[in-house]
Amino acid sequence: MNTQMIFFIILALIAIVCAVLIMALERISHRVVSMAFSFFAVAGLYFLLGAEFIGIIQVMVYVGAITILFVFGMMMTEHRNVGFGPDPRKGQQILGFLGAATLLGVLLYGIFSMDLPTEQPYVGTVEAIGLELYGHYFIAFLGSGFLLTSALIGAVVIARKEVE
Amino acid sequence: MVPISLFLSLAAILFCIGLYGVLTRRHLVIVLASIELMLNSVNINLVAFSAIGPFANISGQVFTLFVITVAAAEAAVGLAILIALYRNRNSIDVIKHDLLRW
Repeated sequence: MNTQMIFFIILALIAIVCAVLIMALERISHRVVSMAFSFFAVAGLYFLLGAEFIGIIQVMVYVGAITILFVFGMMMTEHRNVGFGPDPRKGQQILGFLGAATLLGVLLYGIFSMDLPTEQPYVGTVEAIGLELYGHYFIAFLGSGFLLTSALIGAVVIARKEVE
Repeated sequence: MVPISLFLSLAAILFCIGLYGVLTRRHLVIVLASIELMLNSVNINLVAFSAIGPFANISGQVFTLFVITVAAAEAAVGLAILIALYRNRNSIDVIKHDLLRW
């Protein structure tokens, strides 16, 4: 049991427990905070894998931006009521749980029956990411720029108040 | 070094928790949060294969950047739709929004 394994177990436990708490907690604000902690643990896993740039981006975009966005969305809608009353689709809940559990079982069976060779870890530097991003994936990079612009304009247009 | 199957199983567990949330939760904000959780688990897979996979190279991290971009755009547009929906129908219960239901 080396140091990396211990860190992996701690971070994985935080990620899974916080992900379960998103489903289990009562208040919406607590759920959003739990989501932020789950993302933070995943960022720690990226650092563990030697992908520092992706880890920093994860902290900036997910923990910083998306969580704040969710807090805004929560504040602008109804966040005071805790439940919506009795659920009329009890059977669907059980079906959903069974479906997710079956998928998890199939995935875990596939993962552990797979024979992957263990190699020396590859450490990707930021320079390599930049060269690849502006080399092979330049068109996709431009496309993601267009996507972000259109998403920004679309969000503003959809969320503003209609003026008579 | 942590074996890659542990990373893959962690990602599978997170994905299935997110899938369960999307299928069963009634609060629309929580449904969107579950979608973010699923996208995040895909990112774990990509970065794990990029670092300790059989053909480890940098492409996985570049793809992760694109996935994060799409996730940010999706969260922005999704929450904007959520706010417009709440303004018009005064509820964010998933069950109440069934206008397009067959």
